[in-house]
Amino acid sequence: MITDPVTLAGRQAPSRVLFGPHETNLGRGRAFSDRHVAYYARRARGGAGVIVTETASVHPSDWPYERAPLAAECGPGWAAIASACQGSLVLASLGHSGSQGSPAFGQQALWAPSRVPDVASRELPMAMEQAEIDALIAGFGAATKLAMASGVDGVELEAGQFSLLRQFCSGLTNQRDDRYGDKSTLLHEVIAVVRASVGDGVLGLRLSCDELAPWAGITPDQGASLAASVADAVDYLVVVRGSAMGTSATRPDFHTPPGFNIELCRQVRAAVAGRCPVVLQGSVIDPAMAEEALDGVAELVEMTRAQIAEPDLVALWRAGHGARIRPCVLCNQRCRVRDNRNPIVSCVGEPASGHETEDPPITPAAAPRDVLVVGGGPAGLEAARVLALRGHRVELVERSDVLGGMLRHAPGRFAALADWLAAEIRRLGVTVRTGATADPGDRLVVRAVGSVPGPRAYDVAEGAVVVEAVDVLSGAELPPGAVAVLDPVGDAVGVAVAERLAGAGRSVAIVSQDQVIGTQLALTGDLADANARLQRAGVRLVKRSKPRAVRPGSVLVEDVFTAEQSNVPAEVGVHCGHRLPADADGVTAGDCVAPRTVYEAILEGRRAGALP
Amino acid sequence: MSRLRYLFSPLRVGPLVLRNRIVFAAHLTNYAVDGLPSEQHAAYYAARAAGGAGLIITEEHSTHPTDWPYEKLIHGHHPQVVPGYRRITEAVHRHDTPILAQLNHNGGQASSMYSRLPVWAPSAVPDPMFREVPKAIDTREIAEVVAGYATVAGHCAEGGFDGVELQCSHSSIVRGFLSPTTNVRTDRYGGPLANRARILLEIVAAVRAAIGPDRVLGVRICGDELIEGGTTIDEAVEVARMVEASGQVDYLNTSIGVATASLFMIEASMAVPPGYALFIANAMRKAVRLPVVGVGRIKDPVQAERALAAGHCDLVGVVRGQIADADFAAKARSGHGTEIRTCLSCNQECVGRMGLNRWLGCIENPRTGREAIDLPMPRRRDLRVLVVGGGPGGLQAASTAAQRGHHVTLFERAEDVGGQVAVAARVPGRAEFLDVVRNLRAECQRYGVDVKTGTEATASLLLAESPDAVVLATGARPLRPYWAGSSARVVDVRDVLEQRCAPSGRVLVVDDLGFHQATSVAELLADRGCSVRISTSGMVVGQDLGITLDMEMFCVRAHAKGIELTTDEVITGVAEGVPAEGVTVQLLKHTTSETFDLPVDWVVCATHQEPEDELWHALRDAPFAVHRVGDCVTPRRAHAAVVEGHRAALAL
Repeated sequence: MITDPVTLAGRQAPSRVLFGPHETNLGRGRAFSDRHVAYYARRARGGAGVIVTETASVHPSDWPYERAPLAAECGPGWAAIASACQGSLVLASLGHSGSQGSPAFGQQALWAPSRVPDVASRELPMAMEQAEIDALIAGFGAATKLAMASGVDGVELEAGQFSLLRQFCSGLTNQRDDRYGDKSTLLHEVIAVVRASVGDGVLGLRLSCDELAPWAGITPDQGASLAASVADAVDYLVVVRGSAMGTSATRPDFHTPPGFNIELCRQVRAAVAGRCPVVLQGSVIDPAMAEEALDGVAELVEMTRAQIAEPDLVALWRAGHGARIRPCVLCNQRCRVRDNRNPIVSCVGEPASGHETEDPPITPAAAPRDVLVVGGGPAGLEAARVLALRGHRVELVERSDVLGGMLRHAPGRFAALADWLAAEIRRLGVTVRTGATADPGDRLVVRAVGSVPGPRAYDVAEGAVVVEAVDVLSGAELPPGAVAVLDPVGDAVGVAVAERLAGAGRSVAIVSQDQVIGTQLALTGDLADANARLQRAGVRLVKRSKPRAVRPGSVLVEDVFTAEQSNVPAEVGVHCGHRLPADADGVTAGDCVAPRTVYEAILEGRRAGALP
Repeated sequence: MSRLRYLFSPLRVGPLVLRNRIVFAAHLTNYAVDGLPSEQHAAYYAARAAGGAGLIITEEHSTHPTDWPYEKLIHGHHPQVVPGYRRITEAVHRHDTPILAQLNHNGGQASSMYSRLPVWAPSAVPDPMFREVPKAIDTREIAEVVAGYATVAGHCAEGGFDGVELQCSHSSIVRGFLSPTTNVRTDRYGGPLANRARILLEIVAAVRAAIGPDRVLGVRICGDELIEGGTTIDEAVEVARMVEASGQVDYLNTSIGVATASLFMIEASMAVPPGYALFIANAMRKAVRLPVVGVGRIKDPVQAERALAAGHCDLVGVVRGQIADADFAAKARSGHGTEIRTCLSCNQECVGRMGLNRWLGCIENPRTGREAIDLPMPRRRDLRVLVVGGGPGGLQAASTAAQRGHHVTLFERAEDVGGQVAVAARVPGRAEFLDVVRNLRAECQRYGVDVKTGTEATASLLLAESPDAVVLATGARPLRPYWAGSSARVVDVRDVLEQRCAPSGRVLVVDDLGFHQATSVAELLADRGCSVRISTSGMVVGQDLGITLDMEMFCVRAHAKGIELTTDEVITGVAEGVPAEGVTVQLLKHTTSETFDLPVDWVVCATHQEPEDELWHALRDAPFAVHRVGDCVTPRRAHAAVVEGHRAALAL
């Protein structure tokens, strides 16, 4: 069972569920903050077996993002986290991003095994000489000693997708002709130094065992051999995949099925042959899948995003309340925060994640009241859930026949969140009336009545057909013929509409004013993948173009820079533009305040539920 | 240069008398920490005050919690800002320079990312950049916005500012109300201009009441939003008249463009002529008696003088000019205008870093953004320092070392200094990039660097000199891509710009660098009659032109020149002599795995170079300290060379 304890280097973790290292932007400068402490402590309280803190750079030459922890500044933070997470094992992730870092903050050349430009940033690193290699190895040793002195249970070395250690292991980036050209040399040397520094603590390794670039990168066979070669020297091994070749390899969104590393992990575990425990990573969001993995795939399971969505995941599973676990929907909208704006890690379904020090807990109401919630979308459902949790007598009225609102139509797995919210309010005794209209009486009312179609910034000629994206996503029949997807927003919706229609055999063009389709997907990690999928599906990408008029048979578009006009053949236009709020007054939440994303809907629903 | 009689004539602005007409106008810095003004703010503004600016206007101070469009915003509505305000104003007043605070609410030009609150705007019209539908605010919320301005104005007065400026221009809820594109209200705040301007006049009244009669109140108005259906000059002038008619405002500032839609015309790069926005000040000055500030890429004192002499404006905003050289005004006033480190309008480290949420810097001034951090004292003086290489890294190292009291000799094997910067500046529209060389060369001369051009510094020469230290800034050389084979028709951008070849006919330019290298050589060749296609493996040709605000103009020029832009392509090989004398390029569309052949006459590569690091290796065991800076560490952009040159000189 994932709820069984497991022993690593003589230290016992209360469960086999690992909360993996990830960027949070919770730091202060390059140190851990009180927000970090609260964030990790919340997962420890919820039963996480092993908590691996955000990766700290072992040397000042590495400053990959503004709030990236620097090991030398992390002592007090590690100590505070270790003390706040009593019960769980707390391990400090240590790493160096190498050529996948950024020169913007430290203003010095990036370090790398060889002078190979990073695929994503095009930045050309310097080839490390022996002095830099010595400093790096010493950095790992010093960071390990500091971490152990701070009271953590051990360290985890980062040789995963974004790491200098991986770059040394890979033919993609290591073209050296000295002894480090033997690609695992540096990894072995670092492990040896860390082993000597970690004392009786845990030494874990996160290793990319498939770079998804078989022409020069680590293949699963090579990854398994590499893992086998270090298995005796480490106390556990997390099997991950990916290289600089694709941003989405490690934490992909819903387009990649959950558990995508299961076969890779099984292969690596076979090669390791019991010499160290193996951890399965890779979009494992369902405890049932994690339980299955304990049979032949891994000894522990990393469930990071699942515990961002539901901090009490292990505790609820242990108590037999699996159905009460708030699902991660793999949307990556709020938890993937590698972005210049430094967004705070959070979750669309659990907006208090990352905000543990600011957001008030849900507390019982002083005096239970009768409350009516109008609207059964995410904002209304969350409001009703919180009101009911607080002891109010709640009725929720939804005009349509189903609960979930836009969650039912949005691309991805959002329906799972709608199902969870609906089940929770029923469990909490909310009276639910669907297909009904509201009669407030003298009750307190929360309105979460959603949105209506927005304006169209182009002419629609007589006889031309333009339908709303939400109608396409909810399965409405379209007239036959070619389709132009008109997408001024650039989020997952336009791309999903285009993919769906192309998949149904339509001739599809997607029109955007931007130079890249789906610009907002940079944050979720799906940008490059989405553009490749669209191209493979034969969707025509009409970039830097604004629609001017939809006419029968064509859409007139205009280049945003040159004002040159052209026609895109299409019988149907699909409008993916912003929507407008539905009329509502009084206490309101979600799209009827202003149509935005699930996150704002849930956040405002929760705040509305906390009012009375 | 000494007779800048307009520029250095005093001017009364409300209760203040300015000593000259040079304004360090408001601009973002990302120096705020936890929403509060920092020590860096104080040091930054104080440096410009010490450098002689006539008036300083700080970056914006947000007036309401719903306004938090970027992370490092100053939350003026928090009372805790006041000590930081005092630190700024005391530091600036020490130099007898007045300083105003800019007040603003960004309105719909924002997201809820940081505030976790709905974005407020006149109407539910999403901003083109942030793309978040705002909440259309009701009259109670309008009153709250107005009150927020008054509150922050009070904080500013308490913090010692000489007055405030209302930003109603680049990114502002007031602009949002003024503009018919974002204000579709039907109440008394929407419709005719008098209604759309109502909130502005309410804010003016509230702020004046908050600061009293003894402080300056200015209003900054956008003269042309440069967006479809947006405010243009006639309405802007009408707004200026209304502002003057309020009787409560002391000066008008001007601007052009909308920060989230037409930013490339607000902080125009060198592709846009200097003084391009003066028509706005000119038009307003004709309509009102208030002093008017003119702005728009005014980068040297003579231009500024000319703008005043021509009657376009009463005051001149010089922002990037004073970012590059804090002593802009003092040098101009003392007749040393030619010593000003002139801004290039390259936008790489100032504007370019703002959009990336990083602190404001400057490509040619390593101290910008670091004013609060004192330089280390030189450990000793009079070291004999040899610098090898006269590109930006070597020049900066030499200049800084000389300024810190060392005896510096710089060797450059070419006939002139400048390195790759001089080469990059040869293409159309990039000539101002050469200013960095001119500035650094002049500094080297001024501080007594012995510059030996046409001199190859060999290892034996350097060893024979037995210096105290050597700084290697030997640069980089083109590196043939692995796929290029031996074809003479596959060349580097530098081969073209350094005139080792003259491509003609069909040319494929390969953009691996995502910056000016590919796009500028493509323009040059198109101008020479070539048929040009730029191909990149990335998603956008010249992607980082977006960061420096060069993208829009490049796309327009590329279209006019018939340059074809293609993306997602990787070159896998070339076949020589097909067609005769040309090459056939084998390309892979990596998104779809399709392959295809492209016959061309020439291939020009904008690809990564390799360092010229032979001296570094040869001097490994030298008996003196050896530093290396810039491209000979690994080839990057000019700023890396300048920063490293400076750092190496400080470390001597």
